[in-house]
Amino acid sequence: MSQVKIPVDLILSKMADNAEKVQSRAHKASEVLLGELDTDLAKTPYDVVYREDRVQLKHYRPRTKIRYRTPLLVVYALINRETMLDLQPGRSVVERFLDAGIDLYMIDWGYPTRKDRFLGFDEHINGYMDDIVDLIRERNETDKINLMGICMGGTFSVIYSALHPEKIKNLVTTVTPTNFDTKKGLLHVWMEHIDVDRVVDTFGNLPADMMNFGFLLLNPARLMIDKYVGFMENIDNKQFVENFVRMDKWIFDSPDLPGEVFRQFVKDCYQGNKLLKNQLEVGGQRVDLNRLTMPLLNIYGKYDHLVPPEACEKLIDHVGSKDTENLCLNTGHIGIYVSSKYQEAFAPKIASWLKARDGMPERKPRSIKTAATSSAAVVQPISSKKKASGKRSRNTTEEDAFQVEPASDAKAMGNAR
Amino acid sequence: MENKDQDPFGMMAMVNAWLKPMGELWEDMAKRSDSARKPPESQTKNSGKAPPNVQASLVAALKNCQAMASAMATPESVNAILKGSGEMPEVLLKLFQSYLGSYMQVQQNLINSIGRLGASVEAYRFEDIDENLCRLWTDIYEGEFRRYFQIPQLGLLRSYQEKANQLADQYNLLQAQLAEFLRMLSLPFSHAMQVMQEKLGELAEKGELSDDTHEYYNLWIKVLEGHFMTLFQTPEYVEALNRTVNALADFTAARDAVAEDLLSLVPVARKSEVDDMAREIFELKKRLKKIEKDNNRG
Repeated sequence: MSQVKIPVDLILSKMADNAEKVQSRAHKASEVLLGELDTDLAKTPYDVVYREDRVQLKHYRPRTKIRYRTPLLVVYALINRETMLDLQPGRSVVERFLDAGIDLYMIDWGYPTRKDRFLGFDEHINGYMDDIVDLIRERNETDKINLMGICMGGTFSVIYSALHPEKIKNLVTTVTPTNFDTKKGLLHVWMEHIDVDRVVDTFGNLPADMMNFGFLLLNPARLMIDKYVGFMENIDNKQFVENFVRMDKWIFDSPDLPGEVFRQFVKDCYQGNKLLKNQLEVGGQRVDLNRLTMPLLNIYGKYDHLVPPEACEKLIDHVGSKDTENLCLNTGHIGIYVSSKYQEAFAPKIASWLKARDGMPERKPRSIKTAATSSAAVVQPISSKKKASGKRSRNTTEEDAFQVEPASDAKAMGNAR
Repeated sequence: MENKDQDPFGMMAMVNAWLKPMGELWEDMAKRSDSARKPPESQTKNSGKAPPNVQASLVAALKNCQAMASAMATPESVNAILKGSGEMPEVLLKLFQSYLGSYMQVQQNLINSIGRLGASVEAYRFEDIDENLCRLWTDIYEGEFRRYFQIPQLGLLRSYQEKANQLADQYNLLQAQLAEFLRMLSLPFSHAMQVMQEKLGELAEKGELSDDTHEYYNLWIKVLEGHFMTLFQTPEYVEALNRTVNALADFTAARDAVAEDLLSLVPVARKSEVDDMAREIFELKKRLKKIEKDNNRG
């Protein structure tokens, strides 16, 4: 057997160095942790313009001139909170949309209680969502609105657009599961055999803690160990600590999931894959994707472990629309919204896609409370591949999708991107 | 006098022989007790005729006992007892066989597990995860112990006792299931550790060991992540996960049932009552909205 060579002296000296660094870090960390930390989320100003039960509609105050004919409604999932789109100033999809001149509304689903356990797809889609869409149409004196859905909110948006196509002008889906017949994502594997009736009948709503534990189990090595090792290594960095705490707050700020929604989502979607087969029924109506005739932009993450590309990319092949685009980004489920790199491109891409289809605004915003400033996200429309007639369907990678002018005034706004 | 036909085994004689000294003993004890508690004679002049309560109840008890012994001494009863006692060893043997079988199974598995120790770990493979002791314990519990919680209960408190038994049963099942699930989650750690040891050995032999501890950590976390990802895709894990979720749901339902019984003693609305009310409100709201929409259209 050959002689084993272990650099004991080097390892020991490195450990001694590390011990000194740890001591100094601990000293600085105490200053950081005991000092004032800014860990608030969702600071962009908004007005609540609708409230029913636990649900409310946020209307964001414009930061610049409205440049779109049609307002945009963002529908977040019922899992976790919509605050992810507005984590902090300078790292906010909401800010990007506002700076692009979009009149922005967003649904806050609130925190379901036991009394909400009976509310299913129908009550959320044909109830709350439809009421909200009607309210926006009335407020903005428009027949149609633009709709953007995120994750489960995207699935709701697809269903809504198929049931009420006359009210939707453009549809944007992001990390939206529509094809559940795949074994790629762990959720798909786990949900296949779950006894959802037993869970819902016992718990009423799906408890958030149970859900969070399930999400942690998707990657325990990273989410339960490495993440906190990283935190300890940067505990003396105030900005890192603030961002970490903010993100951690968001991750564990989880409402319970209404029982009937969970039951329907698992049975009809994960176990039955009824949406793509046009077999899903909501409120007694069949959801026919052929009725989805408005332009559709479908964005998803290549490394998404919750909603893998296989769960998203098939949608455009099943809709009636002639103007569809798939965009796959080299990131994960959350990275699309929170990573600086993708924020730099993701929101401007949506803004430019909408602008190409929504023209210039004809109306000024009802009230602009702050002085208009130049937009941080100056968007250059993507070169159009539109044909005079026929179906315009594209699969785009991020390399050819992002043709965004650098935000020249980003530094002036103090954005840390 | 005992009739030989009525008492062929002389049971009455034996019982009477035992009862006589016992009766005398207790009578004597009762008298002593009474005299010790007896008030001064002036106070009991007119109340000494009736037998003391203790003595009277003792006499009554002895009489009952004698009557019962007499009944038990009939040939039919004795035959029944003897038949039952004849079957006892068989029942005990069955029980013993059953427990011995379980014990041997545990032993066998332990030996198998020990046999596997030291075997080189093939990265990202979990074929043996079905052979685990926790699952075996759950099987034994379900097969052997569980039935004691399912013995039919009787009487006024039957439903309460049944719910309490159900809770204990579901709690045990949940614990067993959790142990199995956690054991499964611990597998990637042990696998990753063994892979690390092998890799470190290789590096040490080549003289390529790094002096940066971060590198070892990064390697370990990567290996660990890989093992978790592989484990999570296995049918055994998915099955264990589903069983754990079901066990948790069953335990919660059993706990709620007991809690509801307790809550019925205090002026607090029960969960099921709140659920009923929520359902009624939900249905009323739905009807109201439909009427509103119809009216708006009209």
